[in-house]
Amino acid sequence: MIIECRDLIKTYQADGRRMNAVDEASFVVQQGEFIFIHGHSGSGKTTLLSLIGGLTSPDTGQVLIDGRDNWQQSDNALSDLRNRTIGFIFQFASLIPALTVLENVLLPMSFGGVAAGARERATQLLVEVGLKEKMHSYPGQLSGGQQRRVAIARAFINKPAIILADEPTGDLDEETEQEIFELFKTFNREQRTTFLIVTHNQHLATTIPGSRVFTMRQGLLKEIQAG
Amino acid sequence: MTTPMLERQINFLDYTLSSLWRKRYKNIAVVLVFAAVIFLLASFQLVSNGLLERAQTALVMAPEILIQKMVAGRQESIPVAYAERLQGIFGIRQVTPRVWGYYFDEVTLANYTVIGRDQVAGGSDDQLTQVLADGRLPAAVGETVLGQAVFRTKGLQDQRVFSLFRPDLSLKTLTITGLFKKESNLLTDDLIVLSLADSRDLFGLPPGLASDLMVSVANPREIGTVAKKIAAALPGTRVLTRPQIEKTYHMIFGWRSGFASVCLLAALAAFFILSWDKASGLAPEERREIAILKILGWQTADVLLVRFFEGAVVSGGAYLLGCTAAYIHVVFFGSSLFLPVLAGWSVIRPDLHLVPAIHLADLLLLFCFTVMPYLAATVVPAWRCASLPSATALQGG
Ligand SMILES: Nc1ncnc2c1ncn2[C@@H]1O[C@H](COP(=O)(O)OP(=O)(O)OP(=O)(O)O)[C@@H](O)[C@H]1O
Ligand SMILES: [Mg+2]
Repeated sequence: MIIECRDLIKTYQADGRRMNAVDEASFVVQQGEFIFIHGHSGSGKTTLLSLIGGLTSPDTGQVLIDGRDNWQQSDNALSDLRNRTIGFIFQFASLIPALTVLENVLLPMSFGGVAAGARERATQLLVEVGLKEKMHSYPGQLSGGQQRRVAIARAFINKPAIILADEPTGDLDEETEQEIFELFKTFNREQRTTFLIVTHNQHLATTIPGSRVFTMRQGLLKEIQAG
Repeated sequence: MTTPMLERQINFLDYTLSSLWRKRYKNIAVVLVFAAVIFLLASFQLVSNGLLERAQTALVMAPEILIQKMVAGRQESIPVAYAERLQGIFGIRQVTPRVWGYYFDEVTLANYTVIGRDQVAGGSDDQLTQVLADGRLPAAVGETVLGQAVFRTKGLQDQRVFSLFRPDLSLKTLTITGLFKKESNLLTDDLIVLSLADSRDLFGLPPGLASDLMVSVANPREIGTVAKKIAAALPGTRVLTRPQIEKTYHMIFGWRSGFASVCLLAALAAFFILSWDKASGLAPEERREIAILKILGWQTADVLLVRFFEGAVVSGGAYLLGCTAAYIHVVFFGSSLFLPVLAGWSVIRPDLHLVPAIHLADLLLLFCFTVMPYLAATVVPAWRCASLPSATALQGG
């Protein structure tokens, strides 16, 4: 899966003033790459991820995933793309409170039509993020960090080719953060999963050889040479 | 590909049920309020249907003028001999006695309407002949013509002879000479038509007495005048004219149109419940839920399907609950909630016993006015929300 962005512009109207949340972003990401995106709060990182994931439509420019333009597809095809190809880890709590942890993890899978072995896979993922005991709890009974880890398990359930992660370890301690990144690396190694990770932790990029780093500043995206 | 498709549907249903269960207190409250509205409407409908049928029967059998004997404000049997006192009144073509009443059949637990009359030229038989399917009207003692429901509930099939109980529980045997048409069931379904003598025998009425006297008039324009003269000639009777009966009949129709406006009100009420429910329902959490589902790859149609299931369970449940309660109310509790409204009816029928008539069309009407708006109001906002780009959920909120 190759991700290609061409001259992406997304403008928001704020206080009667137009501002470019994402300003002419262009880049290509190859299958299996690790991408880190840094930037100040409000610089447009989340907006960029939602443009790539087909959650927000750009004002101009294109997002091509394996050569197919996100916004030239039908709504259903886009849903399918999000379901099978992309795993999302949101910046904020994104679990459905009415469902148990296990049901939340199963959500993308049970409706994709491939149910065989779904529970086993979900259970296995919950073990890997260290939440086996909380399987039948409801999100409201979990801490913020635990909820985040459930969302991480859910992102992997359909073995997506691309993971879009918005501050995936923002509320985790260093040790847990390390475990999660080990998990990411395993998926990357075994399934050549592509990662686009928004994080404030500049140090993380150095722990993954070959990763690329971008910074955002007022909507402008710039790649910096990994040292 | 049927199995994965089916599995998908089951998953959606499962999701719906668990989400309904999580919001069970609110949902139960909505179901109860909604069911109460449907209960009132359905009761109203059943009662007014029962009344309408009675009224129609009354009208078809209604002569131009009807004379009833009143004692202490209640109707009593009238001596046939009263007719002689009317001989001097100009404009009367004919006076014919009639017996009618209800026969409660202990075996089938059904109430039949019994009419006893004799064949007279220009009598009520002209109307009855028109709704006869086959055979002929009873001409001699021991003969009878039945409505379809009587024939069916008595399980007669090929049998031409059957029996009814007199008040002293002795058996009275009757021979069937004809059946009423299916098309006229509304009027004749529960009808048993006999000769005058047989009906007296069945009800234990002394000879020379009838339930009322039917008067036909030479010139329909003189009905009012003739009625006044009859009332003067026969003190202690109540004289009803066909226009009066028709007026009552129209009142029922007015009531029916009233029902329609009540239906509209109910729809409004349903919308009110809804907007209350949905205004709180499509609050941030629900928007967020829809956005999350869409982000995880649900199609807009999937989201709508779940909302549809939810609305169907809630409103369908309320509908069934309300209709069942209404039926129980009317059948087993004699529509006691509406009795005050019904009281005015005693003018025509002193002991009004309502056998509720269930009409598919009415149930459908009720369905359209209650369940459909609820479904629409559940699905439409979800559709609006689900067809928007879902990025806002990512920004937090
Ligand atoms: N739906 C929206 N409507 C209006 N303005 C928006 C909207 N979403 C984002 N913005 C604006 O766009 C800019 C970029 O927002 P974005 O969420 O992408 O920032 P971010 O880099 O993810 O910040 P943070 O690190 O705090 O999450 C901000 O100034 C924000 O106010
Ligand atoms: Mg952000």
